[in-house]
Amino acid sequence: MRPFDHLLLLSTTLCSVVGTEAPRPRGVGPEFSKFYKATDSFKCISNPSVVLDIAQLNDDFCDCPDGSDEPGTSACSYLSDLSPTTPSDVSINDSVKTLALPGFYCKNKGHQPSYLPFLSVNDGVCDYDLCCDGSDEWAKVGGISCENRCKELGKEWRKNEETRQKTLGAAQKKRKELVADAARRRKEVEDRIQSLKTQIEGAEIKVKDAQATMLDVERQERGKVIKGPSKASKTGVLAGLAKERIEELRTSLADVRSQRDSAKSRLVELEKILSTFKEEYNPNFNDEGVKRAVRSWEEFAAREKPWEGDDAHDRDLDEISKPDSESGAINWDEWEKPEEDTDVDVRECTADSLHLSHKLTFSVYKIEEYLPGPVRDWVDKRLRDLRLLLIDNGILAPTRDSSDSESKAVTDARSSLQAAEDGLNDNKKELTRHEDDLKKDYGLDDVFRALKGQCVSKDSGEYTYELCWMEQTKQKPKKRGGDTGMGNFVRFDTIAVDDEVPADGKGLGSGQRVVLRYENGQHCWNGPNRSTLVVLACAESDEIWKITEEEKCVYRMEVGTPAVCSSSTAGNPASNQVKDEL
Amino acid sequence: MLLSWIRVDLLALLVCLLCNVIPIAAVKHENFKRCDQSGFCRRNRAIADEATSNEDSWASPYTLDPATINVQNGVLKGIVSKSLGEGYGPVSFPLTITFLESGVVRVSIDEEKRQKGDIELRHGSVARKERYNEASKWAIVGALNNDRRASPSMAAEATTIIYGPDNSYKAVIKHFPFAIDFWRANEIHVKFNGKGFLNMEHWRPKIEKPAKEAIEAKEDQQPIENTDAGEDESTWWEESFGGNTDSKPKGPESVGLDITFPGYEHVFGIPQHAGPLSLKQTRGGSGNFDEPYRLYNSDVFEYEMDSPMTLYGAIPLMQAHRKDSTVGVFWLNAAETWIDIVKTKVRTNPLSLGTGRKIDTQTHWFSEAGLLDVFVFLGPTPRDIVHAYSDLTGYTQLPPHFAIAYHQCRWNYVSDDDVREVDRKFDKHNIPYDIIWLDLEYTNERKYFQWDPHTFPDPLGMQTQLDAHARKLVVLIDPHIKNTHDYSVVDDLKSKSLAVRNKDNDIYEGWCWPGSAHWIDCFSPDAQKWWTSLFQYKTFQGTAPNLFIWNDMNEPSVFNGPETTMPKDNIHYGNWEHRDLHNINGLTFVNATYNALLQRDPKVPKRPFVLTRSFFSGSQRMGAMWTGDNQASWPHLAASIPMVLANNIAGFPFSGADVGGFFGNPEKDLLTRWYQAGIFYPFFRAHAHIDTRRREPYLAGEPYTKIITSAIRLRYQLLPTWYTAFHQASVDGSPILRPHYYVYPGDEAAFHIDDQFFIGSTGLLAKPVVSEGANSVDIYLPAGKTFYDYFDYTVYRGVGKSIPFSAPLEKIPLLMQGGHIFPRKERPRKSSGLMKWDPYTLVVVLGDENEMHAEGELYIDDGETFDYGEGAFIHRKFTYAPSISSNAPMGILRSQSLTPPSKESKKAKAYLQSMEHVRIEKIVVINAPSQWDGRASVRILEDGQRERNAGLRYWKAEGGKTAWAVVRNPNVGIGKGWKIEF
Repeated sequence: MRPFDHLLLLSTTLCSVVGTEAPRPRGVGPEFSKFYKATDSFKCISNPSVVLDIAQLNDDFCDCPDGSDEPGTSACSYLSDLSPTTPSDVSINDSVKTLALPGFYCKNKGHQPSYLPFLSVNDGVCDYDLCCDGSDEWAKVGGISCENRCKELGKEWRKNEETRQKTLGAAQKKRKELVADAARRRKEVEDRIQSLKTQIEGAEIKVKDAQATMLDVERQERGKVIKGPSKASKTGVLAGLAKERIEELRTSLADVRSQRDSAKSRLVELEKILSTFKEEYNPNFNDEGVKRAVRSWEEFAAREKPWEGDDAHDRDLDEISKPDSESGAINWDEWEKPEEDTDVDVRECTADSLHLSHKLTFSVYKIEEYLPGPVRDWVDKRLRDLRLLLIDNGILAPTRDSSDSESKAVTDARSSLQAAEDGLNDNKKELTRHEDDLKKDYGLDDVFRALKGQCVSKDSGEYTYELCWMEQTKQKPKKRGGDTGMGNFVRFDTIAVDDEVPADGKGLGSGQRVVLRYENGQHCWNGPNRSTLVVLACAESDEIWKITEEEKCVYRMEVGTPAVCSSSTAGNPASNQVKDEL
Repeated sequence: MLLSWIRVDLLALLVCLLCNVIPIAAVKHENFKRCDQSGFCRRNRAIADEATSNEDSWASPYTLDPATINVQNGVLKGIVSKSLGEGYGPVSFPLTITFLESGVVRVSIDEEKRQKGDIELRHGSVARKERYNEASKWAIVGALNNDRRASPSMAAEATTIIYGPDNSYKAVIKHFPFAIDFWRANEIHVKFNGKGFLNMEHWRPKIEKPAKEAIEAKEDQQPIENTDAGEDESTWWEESFGGNTDSKPKGPESVGLDITFPGYEHVFGIPQHAGPLSLKQTRGGSGNFDEPYRLYNSDVFEYEMDSPMTLYGAIPLMQAHRKDSTVGVFWLNAAETWIDIVKTKVRTNPLSLGTGRKIDTQTHWFSEAGLLDVFVFLGPTPRDIVHAYSDLTGYTQLPPHFAIAYHQCRWNYVSDDDVREVDRKFDKHNIPYDIIWLDLEYTNERKYFQWDPHTFPDPLGMQTQLDAHARKLVVLIDPHIKNTHDYSVVDDLKSKSLAVRNKDNDIYEGWCWPGSAHWIDCFSPDAQKWWTSLFQYKTFQGTAPNLFIWNDMNEPSVFNGPETTMPKDNIHYGNWEHRDLHNINGLTFVNATYNALLQRDPKVPKRPFVLTRSFFSGSQRMGAMWTGDNQASWPHLAASIPMVLANNIAGFPFSGADVGGFFGNPEKDLLTRWYQAGIFYPFFRAHAHIDTRRREPYLAGEPYTKIITSAIRLRYQLLPTWYTAFHQASVDGSPILRPHYYVYPGDEAAFHIDDQFFIGSTGLLAKPVVSEGANSVDIYLPAGKTFYDYFDYTVYRGVGKSIPFSAPLEKIPLLMQGGHIFPRKERPRKSSGLMKWDPYTLVVVLGDENEMHAEGELYIDDGETFDYGEGAFIHRKFTYAPSISSNAPMGILRSQSLTPPSKESKKAKAYLQSMEHVRIEKIVVINAPSQWDGRASVRILEDGQRERNAGLRYWKAEGGKTAWAVVRNPNVGIGKGWKIEF
């Protein structure tokens, strides 16, 4: 039926001209009058080779394969590929059963002319929607008489139209404001990006400086050989405590494991009960409590099971749970025994497998003891240099990086480096975020930038539905229970719609409409993840008009917003008015 | 013959295999009794087993004492006594055999002691002592006049009564043992108690045995032959099933009888079961069932295919059929009933003239309680059986016209906005529909007669929108009433004591949709009156005259009851036990609703429309039924056809299955095929479960939506034909869909066919495609008959075999048979109501040279009132006759009235006047004679009009398609007499 849209518009413009023409046959629109001029015969419009006697025009019998001989009756309404097929009893060749006319032309003087589908002509119902002059029921079947209501309907329509135009004006104004707001927000982002870039430059320098400082301090520190106090007793105590603690942890690990295992088997049992329950319950009884339980179970079962295939982990736990003597992980005796006379490095070297350095260091320190003070200092310095050399060349491991053994200087240097780095990263992250944001699609004119994060909601049945622009859609039960996510914003799109617009203008109308796709909402029992298609049409304020569940867990919201008002884009209320369901 | 047997067996085998392969949700067998879990079933089968295994020595213990026989005015009365063996006196059973004017015989057996109330009930039960004798009060509405001419001749061994048309029937009533043979044309067609299975379980007091003996009795499970003391008493006094215990205050009281059809190989009927039309054997063996057919109205969840399990409704009418002969029995009993069927090959009787082997079908009927009350029909055609049965139980309601159009249902349209939207979408997609339905969820927390205030704030506005296009709304009202505070309906039900009572005589409480609920007892006249008051526009607020009712769950379904229904020891009005009347329960509820709707507009009563799930003999008078909760699967689509056919031959043709399948989501090809089949259900409704995806036809997408739309439009196009068939059913009970054996009772090769059917008497033959991916079907065409494809006029000549018929997805296998004329309306409209004034097309289908005659009918009335009862209708007969002489016209088509003019009343005249401008716009002649080629006009002679001509166009036969002609705009009045000369 769409191809006739332009004809309708055309007919509107021609309206004043046709008033002066000779009367056309019933039901013929002005743009077709040229086919109906002859007074003795009629040629079918699409099949001019079929010539009919003029008496066959509008005689309530379908003669033309394209129905053009019956512009004023329903006689040819069956010519449609929606009808049962039949050998074409009106055609000469294999004519396509397509009607040449868009419908029955209602003049609707005092209002707008329009075409009514032929199947509604003389059906005993006044189709005032399309035929306010009542001319569609000219045969008065069953005694029906449709008065001409064009005067009042036209008046009402014009009044509504005026309101709509006003609304449209206001809506367009609002949109302009939104666009301006969006631009302002964009500018803010751009400005922020600029300042971030500057900040990043500064921060990068800071980081470099801090790194240098850090390196230097560290280098100094690393060479220090600390001859700590004898830690033999302390280590022993620590080892004792550690052993105790580990034993304690091991015992509680075993406890927790056995608790886990029994919980696990209970869970398995429960899951079995529930899955049998799911298999065997009778959904036809539609007990809401039972169905809710089944649904929750389905959702639960659909989630990943954390314990499945966890044998490796269990083996690890088995290993951990063994006494240390068996596992050979730690030989506590070695640690609890009083230590020999040595400094911290010994332990380090022992732990290290660098035998060379061990021997070297060890022997060097032994020698040192026999030297006088100044020499010792000198040796000390030399040794430190040597050590640094060795460390720098990877022959010797550096001093252990533990805080208790780290000097304040290093800590300070480290933390200022950390701070500098953090600052830089934060700036960089923010920059990326803003840069991404700039690249992101906010719709035509960036207009949804102004709405992002704002929400509108509507009550429908037992739920309140919420739409948050560019974010998510939600279903909130009025009675009890938590919110259900109906999808997260994914992208913009457009779809074709073809709806009537109610008198209050809260409807989609016809044409291409901007849609927001919200996907991957909460998983649906027996179905997909919830998703919402948000179809937008121009309105003065943000408002959800209608929510429908088109298929299980696939929602559709029809929403009015000034954001899509524009003389150039779809959603213009004026275009909603075209009567085009022909 | 042999071949056909093999084919049947193979077919059965194939069906069985398919059943195993296709994974479908399964019925919960554990919820429903098998025969061995039902005491009286086990007891009666045991008798049959014993009698069969001791065939030569078995003697039925029932005797008709000749001295007690008294025949008067077509009624034989006598006493049948049952001997209980030594030491026990005989038990008396009053026998009444009534010979009816229609040639039907009714045999009733009661029990003297119970009749006189000379028994004691256990557990202090308030139940009535008699056997239930009111089944006929609900089921039978006419044709009970006695045949006073029936004349007896008595002999010592037997009393013989000659009766029936031209005294051609004969009943031979044997005295010892008591048995009856029914004869027609020198042959026995029906035998009662020929096998000696007759069983009347007499009342006896419970004798409490000492514990020791009881144990012994238990050990000795084998009943000792024919002695009371040795019988297995385990199921006499109490029975438990699924955690529910039946207290059985009246003890054992079942009735059983074997009925044999000698020489009959096929038996049909006893709906409702999901299985083939030709009933299977039930005693095991390859391809047979090993359970008897059961009739115990139940809400069977996810019912299975090809099963004798009980379903939602029961019509205990069976037809036995063989070449050119049909007989039948109607077992009028409302209690739980089982029927065993065994077919035996019998040696040719050396005395009979026939040769070769013969099949006898033995049936064994038994019910848990009530009278033994059986009607016998001697045919000899299927038509005779259905008509005689319908004369007794009533005819199908002539439904309001909209009810035969397309119904759009779903559990649930969730709000009044939703309904309005669906309504608009149908118009937008140019799909006609007449009725939209609301399931349970429209109610306010499942309180019937109250709208959900959140989702249906404006029910009247919704009904007004529907009414603008002559559309209707149907809402669900069930018999369970929510047990809650603050609900005046339940308050009334309780305070007026109109609910079903439990065994302790307190109000019965069970569980259904609303949770705890009580059940209205529609056996009570007061309850019916009260029910009527609930449907008044002022009490059921938010309802308009275009609202009608759906009665679901009326088996009754009780979620926590035994076998999902009521305990058998519940008490109804008149203190009858639920067990006595269970199968009638659903009927009484629909009856109450039907009357309630009638009373909404007392000044000009409109025809009610009520859909029921549960039914019994007689339910056809009150509305439509459907086959319950089926599934969106190909086997369910296939099963719907024999199921609907079974109802059609059992006097309840206004039947259908949920299009699309209730449970599950149909694939689009299944949905499409289901619509193509559904347009042929007399009751054509699409429905879907609440957990399924939306599936209104416009959602299917192309090409499916287009194909479905064109199928629905085909239904609408043929509505005049459908309405005529409904009218016929409403005056004589004729099936609307007719299986092959019904139309061709002599065509032996096709008696088993139950997947194709004729529509009324129009010669339209349909064979829906019911298998996945099929691109063709095999249609059986009777020998010597000519058929034409409905859509392109391709010729098919019947040879008594199945022939392949191409049927890609968009094609509906539908044929027109030569010799018929049928009316249609070709202009598509939004609803059937808006087609009321449209002109008609007549399709005249001529056969081959030797069958160039054709005839058909049309019935029309206002489609909503009862004015047709006062003659306000048009009933025409159309006949076409070829030329008889060379100078006469080549053929004449006539329209004649089938209305006796004397019946014309004021209303009749007014109606005719209102139809004055409704005319015939086109006459299509299929297989038009070649002599018509070149003719340009026909002569029209219409009553009260001047002679005139109309244009004629002729198309030659080509490429397998026959010739055809069209009379252009003859413009003759549909209610007028006229003649067209070709």
